[in-house]
Amino acid sequence: MRVRAGSIAVLLAFSLGACSSGSDDSSSTEAGSACAPAGAPVTLTYTTWIPGIEKVVDVWNKANPDIQVKVQTGPNGNGGTYANFFNQLKAGNAPDLGHIEYDALPSFRVQDGLTDLAGCDIVTQSQSKFIDWTWNQVTFGEQGHVYGIPQDAGPMGLFYRKDLFEKNNIPVPTTWEEYAAAAEKVKAAGGYITNFSQSDINQFAGLVWQAGGHWFGNDGTNWTVTMTDEPTKKVADYWQGLIDKKLVSSVPPWTPEWDNAYNSSSAWTWVSAVWGANSILAGAPKTSGKWAVAPMPQWSAGEKVAGNWGGSSTAVFKNSKHPYEAAKFALWLNTSTEALTLLNKEAQLYPATKEGASLPALKEGVEFYGGQKIYDVFAEASTQVKPDFTWGPTMTKTYADASDGFKKAVTGQETLTKALEDAQASTIATLKSQSIPVKE
Amino acid sequence: MTGFKVPRYAAMLVMAVFTLYFLTPLWWLFIASGKQDGQVTEGHALLPDNFALGTNLSDLFRYNDGVFLRWLANSVGYTVGAALLGTLLAGMCGYALAKYVFRGRELIFNIVLGGVLVPATALALPLFLMFSKAELANTFWSVFLPSLVNPFGVYLGRIYAAASVPDELLEAARIDGSGEVRSFFTISVRLMAPAFVTIFLFHFVAVWNNFMLPLIMLGNERLFPVTLGLYSWNSQVNQHPELRALVLVGAFVSIVPMVIAFLSLQRFWRSGLGAGSIK
Amino acid sequence: MKKAILFFVAPFGALFTLFYLIPIGYAIWQSLFTVERTGTFGPATEVFGGLTQYKQVFSDGPFWESIGRVLLFGAVQVPVMLGLALFLALLLDSGLVKGRRFFRLVYFLPYAVPGVVAAIMWGYLYSPNLSPFTEVTSAVDLLSPSLVLWAMANVVTWVYVGYNMLIIYSALLAVPTEIYEAAKIDGAGVFRTAWSIKIPMVMPAIVLTTVFSIIGTLQLLAEPQVFRSFSSAVSSTYTPNLTVLSTASIPNFHLAAAFSVVLALATFVLSFSFLKFTQRKGVQ
Repeated sequence: MRVRAGSIAVLLAFSLGACSSGSDDSSSTEAGSACAPAGAPVTLTYTTWIPGIEKVVDVWNKANPDIQVKVQTGPNGNGGTYANFFNQLKAGNAPDLGHIEYDALPSFRVQDGLTDLAGCDIVTQSQSKFIDWTWNQVTFGEQGHVYGIPQDAGPMGLFYRKDLFEKNNIPVPTTWEEYAAAAEKVKAAGGYITNFSQSDINQFAGLVWQAGGHWFGNDGTNWTVTMTDEPTKKVADYWQGLIDKKLVSSVPPWTPEWDNAYNSSSAWTWVSAVWGANSILAGAPKTSGKWAVAPMPQWSAGEKVAGNWGGSSTAVFKNSKHPYEAAKFALWLNTSTEALTLLNKEAQLYPATKEGASLPALKEGVEFYGGQKIYDVFAEASTQVKPDFTWGPTMTKTYADASDGFKKAVTGQETLTKALEDAQASTIATLKSQSIPVKE
Repeated sequence: MTGFKVPRYAAMLVMAVFTLYFLTPLWWLFIASGKQDGQVTEGHALLPDNFALGTNLSDLFRYNDGVFLRWLANSVGYTVGAALLGTLLAGMCGYALAKYVFRGRELIFNIVLGGVLVPATALALPLFLMFSKAELANTFWSVFLPSLVNPFGVYLGRIYAAASVPDELLEAARIDGSGEVRSFFTISVRLMAPAFVTIFLFHFVAVWNNFMLPLIMLGNERLFPVTLGLYSWNSQVNQHPELRALVLVGAFVSIVPMVIAFLSLQRFWRSGLGAGSIK
Repeated sequence: MKKAILFFVAPFGALFTLFYLIPIGYAIWQSLFTVERTGTFGPATEVFGGLTQYKQVFSDGPFWESIGRVLLFGAVQVPVMLGLALFLALLLDSGLVKGRRFFRLVYFLPYAVPGVVAAIMWGYLYSPNLSPFTEVTSAVDLLSPSLVLWAMANVVTWVYVGYNMLIIYSALLAVPTEIYEAAKIDGAGVFRTAWSIKIPMVMPAIVLTTVFSIIGTLQLLAEPQVFRSFSSAVSSTYTPNLTVLSTASIPNFHLAAAFSVVLALATFVLSFSFLKFTQRKGVQ
């Protein structure tokens, strides 16, 4: 019996140790204050899902023997890496640096997971290098706080089938009104103007962003959730009209079937972000040379406003012991020409810096798009994105709720507006269940 | 009904129809994984058309310094290792529960059986926090160690030991001076062999399919098992569509080791699978 | 003797305690907490909330809908699958089939396919424009809200019929042949032999497979998760386990823990009452 009692004691000791995990994290850095070089060689850990990132990091490691970066890759953010980050933050063993999309940054800040880099001079001095709205995404529009280094941007434009539009004498739409008129003609010619993204709410958010909508606000004491403000309603009603008239198809996005809709010329346009150029290229090889890019349709003729879809930052996690070195690496990764060129080559990332738009690769004509210099369109769009769109602190849940409703809307069971109302209500409930203050 | 004869050809027809049902999807996957550039809609769906399996395979094995091969090796490591050791531990525990009377025996058995019912989602997160505390998260062990536990194996082990190991035999061994542990390894293990194979097979498949635990435990791609690796590629398809071809051919390749294992272990699982139901 | 028992039980017991009991205890413990914070980005402090999270679980409509959904799924899919498995096992055992080794292997093969991979594969086969069976998929939308549950039921059935068939078939092989001889002399046909001799003999195997199928059904995860990208009808709370996952990724660990505790209890109650039910019927 003695032996057994002993082993139970060991187990108990272990279990007590194990159960008390996650609450204390004494090693966390004081926000925005300490940002001094370590003065000794350090090794940083960095988690991302950028394909080919190893090659970029190798370049850095060769040039910086004192700041070695160990990179790990996994599934994309909502596919599991964010969940891992949250778990690791709770357990106090998050990497030094992580890849976080703009829409997820508030969630990490609410979980107290980010190091405020405003204390690092090298960071604040770099502000002018970044396109203004991307800087706002990482500072939440607050002075004296920086929660990540902008990495890439997703300014939106209109991809369209030049050949089909010309053949059917349809003018390229410059306003949303013209776009709806074009939709009728495309339908008459046997196609769909586009595929409405039923489950990836990010595209819709980009459209709302362009229209001047705001889904979230915060005044320091309370969050506000306004997913049914006037501009959002305008966008929702507009697309509801196209859905009701069956002018758009509604294949789930990012499926082979969705590719097929483009590859088989059944969908003629796509209002998408700059990185969408590669999605069409890879998904619809049969249509090579037949596409072109135009600026996003506008709500009033003559306006020049673009939306943004996607984009991410490199953030330094709370428990990093080397915020200075981490910031230095993140700045190099996202501002230096050599890194940006490699990131663009390996993963088609579109830089968030002002100079990034003039990378040689982004100045060339693209064969798939009939030799058009498509990145010029996006470079301009990137400067036209409204700077004041903010994301909420529980976006994964908000997206999931909204897309559940959107799916019902495209199958005619309810409307987009109803879906947004429901998403708003459940977002408020989610915030409350997390004790995040919210004004109704 | 009495004496009614089912014609042989009718029986064979039914069997043939089900053969089609089971094999067609796998055949389709084989054909699709051979399509050039992952263009599954091009050409005939069930005939090798536009067939470039060789190119796809070499793309798969070369991508990102051959990470896919690494995933396959990891899967084999997690699976074979955990299943072998886990089977032995579960079999031993089940055996003791069947062959010895001691205080708390039924209690232990019932608690272990209750473990069968716990959803994987409930276990994975707390396990991660425990492993983090021990600084073992994101290591081979963080997936391997929890995979060793197979409560259902204990249940099978107990039932089969009770049915196939006669008490008289153990008593005789005792009289001959053989220790309990030695008797187990020399006599009982042999008698329980079919049960061990069954437990092993159940365990093997469970670990091979396990997805939740590695998803939560592992951040390092080089430690991924093949299911998680494929899932991770699949999650990036929206921004990097060229990965789709790799997902399909990778899915096909990931089935192959299991098929080989099934074929070569046929002799064993054929006789062993009934073990759990013997009263 | 005591030492030997300890030798046999302790290794498994230790691992089971570490990797089952303690995590479960920890999950229950976590489910009793809630967070408090001040300001829009204020750090969270964990405070004891008693049954606060459980109140939320019980007032969560979609969660209970998802439980209802998997129960419906189980009520149809489990009998169909096991019926098929039993039918095929009896057929194999009837002596009417040539090439038994071949069929046994082929039917068992889908079990080798990981759930995620099987779901991806069938997702393609169901999609209207990708499927090699366009005649079927263009006439019936298998991914529509009314059918997608049964489309998934087919995936699960495809994977597990052969496996369940083998368990039942192995049990049939274990039946002493003298019993059949006696029946033959009595002039019993194939059906009567099956109905009055074989099925009762393999009832324990059927009970076992049923319990496992019930557990598997309530914990449905890989199939619906993969199908979310194929069908617009599968929501983020389609099955209880998906709800747990999506809650954990908010991240709301406490609520997710409460969901999984309730789910485990539901699984337990259901499979336990099934076992009790069959015991009362005297099957085991």
